[in-house]
Amino acid sequence: MHDFLDFSRAWLPELLKGVPATLLLWIISITLAFFLGLALAWARIYGNRFWYAVSTVYVEVFRGTPMLVQMFFIYLGLPEIGIVFDSFTCAIIAIALNSAAYQAEYFRGSMQSIPHGQMVAARACGMSQWQAVLHIVLPQALRRVVPQWSNEAILELKFTSIAYTIGVVEITARASKIGYETLQFFDIFILAAIIYLVLTSFVASLLDWVERRLHIPGVTNVG
Amino acid sequence: MDSQRVLDVRQMRKTYGDIEILKGISLSLDRGQTKVLIGPSGSGKSTLLNCINYLVPPDDGEVKLNGVIVGDRNLNAMRAKMGFVFQGFNLFAHLTVLDNIRICPMKVKKVSKDEATERAYLELDRVGLKDKAAAYPAQLSGGQQQRVSIARALAMDPTVILFDEPTSALDPELTGEVIRVMKNLADDGMTMLVVSHEMGFARSAADEIIFMEHGVIVEQGPPAMLFSSPQQRRTADFLRVIAEHA
Repeated sequence: MHDFLDFSRAWLPELLKGVPATLLLWIISITLAFFLGLALAWARIYGNRFWYAVSTVYVEVFRGTPMLVQMFFIYLGLPEIGIVFDSFTCAIIAIALNSAAYQAEYFRGSMQSIPHGQMVAARACGMSQWQAVLHIVLPQALRRVVPQWSNEAILELKFTSIAYTIGVVEITARASKIGYETLQFFDIFILAAIIYLVLTSFVASLLDWVERRLHIPGVTNVG
Repeated sequence: MDSQRVLDVRQMRKTYGDIEILKGISLSLDRGQTKVLIGPSGSGKSTLLNCINYLVPPDDGEVKLNGVIVGDRNLNAMRAKMGFVFQGFNLFAHLTVLDNIRICPMKVKKVSKDEATERAYLELDRVGLKDKAAAYPAQLSGGQQQRVSIARALAMDPTVILFDEPTSALDPELTGEVIRVMKNLADDGMTMLVVSHEMGFARSAADEIIFMEHGVIVEQGPPAMLFSSPQQRRTADFLRVIAEHA
């Protein structure tokens, strides 16, 4: 135990330098995925046959293949046809595209859970479908989706560690590097795990707070 | 004689699968008139209302509002002039009572927030719910929700309001408050087409009762005449059934 504390004191600052990269990767990709996921859900529910098909195929492909394969394809495969991104950008694209497929399904479920009569009432007073979705369906669907979205966000925060495999220097990459330098893999990966745990706990409580803040009787239940 | 034609429905037809719900219905409303549609369930009353503002597009027929034909191109503008009160209220669950009433004028008619607010309070006062402006729909009784939905329709300054069984989803002790509001509207000169079996309302507020069955209008006339001396046997039978259950 004493050894671990000494070890932590020596290497924690170095490890923590990976936190900004992890958080940046996470925030950018999850934000992009949020908007792409919304568009996909919208297309699947309200789109014509073409957009329905596009959205459905997208979701099935990205949920049906490993994120690591998707990322390697973007990082190693695309350059062969002349499309080259740096490793950080590749990781963002991979995580965002993958998460969008899952978020789309959560959004679709919550949008479809809003009683249809409200949509009808909005159309009956002269709103376009676009307005009705924007002003009536979405504000309720987004409130209802917070618990599922929170799970997805935390999952993606942990998934940022796969960026290490293509050379992004985030928490896991730094842990690995320190491990090889000190040969104390046991301690360094415990330390890395603790950092992830702190981050995910913080995100979980933040989103719990958001859920309570957004609560409206009749729209969401807060336990 | 003041008989300005507001709503003109011609030869409405609607078929679901093999079943012809509306077999060429025609009716009209003059400004300030209230007409009540009655008839057994499945007779096509609700479908007719939904076809009039194209929530359910009719297969054939024509709707004219103030002389303008309702169609795909002017649908939102036309709907903005036709209030609709639903059996299930359909209030927007995430919005307060005030916002439920303000949102359509603001988003559809681009009325300013101040103006919409002023109008909303006016209509809330009219339905007796001024003190509930800040409540959410889930915090109201069914009767209160329906009154809010009437205020929501009124705030759009509609040419006509369509009521689709406005009291059918309510407990009996709550229908009175909604009927009273509707009666006042009729007395104030609102043009209303009402699907309802509230015979008290029909008797006291309607200029005309329209009895529908199997997708056709069987008989229509002033309540005094239709209730006391129906010309058609089917009408008499139906009125007897309704009377027994009231």
